Amino acid sequence: MSDLLFEEMKTSVLEGEEDEAAELAKKAISLGLDMEKVLHEGFLLGIQEAGQLYEDGDYFLPELVCSADALKAALAVLNEKLVSNPELTSGEGKVILATVHGDVHDIGKTIVGSMMTAAGFEIHDLGADVPNEEVIEAVRELKPDILGLSALLTPTMEEQKNIIDMLSAANLRDQVKVIVGGAPVNQIWADKIGADGYSGNALSAVKLAKELLAGEQRA
Amino acid sequence: MNMMGKVLSDEEIREIHRQSVHILENVGVKVPVEKALALLEAGGAKIDWDRRVAMIPEALIDKALASAPKEFVLGARNPEFDFPVPSDYSVMNLDGAGVNVLDHRTGKRRNATLQDVADAARVFEEIEIGKVLWSSVVPYDVPSGASGILNTATSFLNCSKHLQDEAKNIHEVPYIMEMVKAITGSLDEAIARKIYSATYCTVAPLCHDPEMLEATMELTKYRVPILVYPMPACGSTGPASLSSNIALANAEALSTFVIFQLAQPGTPLIYGAALGIIDRRSGVFLEGAVETALQLTAMGQIGKNYGFPTIIAGCLSDSKETGMQATMEKVLTTLPLVLNRVDVVQGIGLLESSMTLSLPQMFIDAEIGLLCNRMQAGVDVAPEKNYFEDIKAVGQGGHYLKQKSTRAAFRSDEFYTPWLSERSTYETWLEMGSPDMFSKAHQKVEEILAAEMKNPLDPQTEKIIREIMEEAKAKL
Repeated sequence: MSDLLFEEMKTSVLEGEEDEAAELAKKAISLGLDMEKVLHEGFLLGIQEAGQLYEDGDYFLPELVCSADALKAALAVLNEKLVSNPELTSGEGKVILATVHGDVHDIGKTIVGSMMTAAGFEIHDLGADVPNEEVIEAVRELKPDILGLSALLTPTMEEQKNIIDMLSAANLRDQVKVIVGGAPVNQIWADKIGADGYSGNALSAVKLAKELLAGEQRA
Repeated sequence: MNMMGKVLSDEEIREIHRQSVHILENVGVKVPVEKALALLEAGGAKIDWDRRVAMIPEALIDKALASAPKEFVLGARNPEFDFPVPSDYSVMNLDGAGVNVLDHRTGKRRNATLQDVADAARVFEEIEIGKVLWSSVVPYDVPSGASGILNTATSFLNCSKHLQDEAKNIHEVPYIMEMVKAITGSLDEAIARKIYSATYCTVAPLCHDPEMLEATMELTKYRVPILVYPMPACGSTGPASLSSNIALANAEALSTFVIFQLAQPGTPLIYGAALGIIDRRSGVFLEGAVETALQLTAMGQIGKNYGFPTIIAGCLSDSKETGMQATMEKVLTTLPLVLNRVDVVQGIGLLESSMTLSLPQMFIDAEIGLLCNRMQAGVDVAPEKNYFEDIKAVGQGGHYLKQKSTRAAFRSDEFYTPWLSERSTYETWLEMGSPDMFSKAHQKVEEILAAEMKNPLDPQTEKIIREIMEEAKAKL
């Protein structure tokens, strides 16, 4: 019976069915299923498969985004059960994403979030036009491994620098790797403002995040 | 609606037709084959037997235009590749009759060999938009009398698509028909399946080539489809205005329709054209010129207006190498033909005014054809494409990535992804080793030639084809 349920969980994520994923998560709670199995034999298998299909060229971006959001919907329901057991969800690492203050361009960062979700990261997306203080507060509270800051406009790029400076001032800079992206951003800018990395697209953002965390483990 | 590209109005098409008829009635064409002249005379043409010139009256032209079939199927050795014409999609053929190869291994230009004919056919087998194979080059490493038959045989051996070739001499015809019979199983099937067609070129201005005419008339006995292919050049072998050169080319085409319909009423004919201009200083024939593209587009329109299947020269370039000039000229000589929905753009793979074959260029040209077809398909404003519900659901801000319609549309014909174009970001592209279109196409060619042949002939038939090749080498 629950085998079939796990299969349905996987499928709900794979096919990007948000409502169904949330329903299945509720069912898992009411049936008192083992959370490890719910994740690793259910929902997370779905996102892994979606990620693989994307890499193989069989899935396009909208399918990946829908899969990531279906997983998010399931995790939101399961949240209360997972708080007591955080290592279950943050497989690859915890990531905060935000588009900086003054910049309403949401989509690039959303795509990065979906790709990272598919790659096994736990994503906390703060949205777009996020005040700098809110970003700092989230870093303080959630203790992410990575903070990803997106800026699409030349003037708002400056906020990436300001946030890094504020992290230093708050003694939080050493706790988190900061990665930056957005159309006008490049490696030179990232180096100049003291970011830990830059990525030009969502796929290489995933690669960059993995490399940064692997480097940290080695160190 | 579909994107259309017209260079002649309906009235202008009628005017060009009138001019062509006027040329045929008052100037006439040279037909240096007695049998053909006799047919023309019996049909009502006025013959100057000393000069072997036929003045062809309008009534005879109208009769030919009426008796030539308007649709048929260009069959293929592999029936999966049968191609019904007219088509609502422009496909491409392998361009033929070059003499050099830009060797993809060395990057150097050299004489073409029979192995190149085989390699080009194998690559063409895997080009989806390619439906009609014309043996790509004339090999220098075989006896010249047999080269036509060896080319035809080699193409049959290495590609299962429709084969379009040419018969330069009447002695070649039995060899050709023996091969077609061996492949289709019987003479009746050979006639019915039409897996082979022949290109027939007139000789501008206003002449027919005696040997090619004789050979091609012989082929009409077997209802072999004939591509009628006039090619006057503005200012040298044709008059120096585009419209008059078009009228001359059309007159040559019409005279050919008349001759072949008299020889074999109902014989399937394809309206074609390869006219062009010359370089005004050197006199060199120019294929990649915009004026060439304009004339070819006009011919495509005229052929379609008569209601016949069309195979029009296109995807042409005068560039000596692959690269910028080649791509620019090939796009300019492909797009207007596709926007005019000619059935076959002839064709892919050649550079240097169709003298030099490049195997990787075949893939680049195929990609140009696919992009042009997407362009032709245009913007669809059908009710089912009105995504108002999505617009309402997403509202102000946000995105459409999660709308079901986005997922469906991304998998539909709405979007075409060219596999040769490099669309990744700078960093990713660097990581991949900075590939360009040519390197990707080159790699694909290597893969195909290293792999097993797709759709080979059965060993029994292959043996017969090889015996015919040996006989041709010994006797032709």
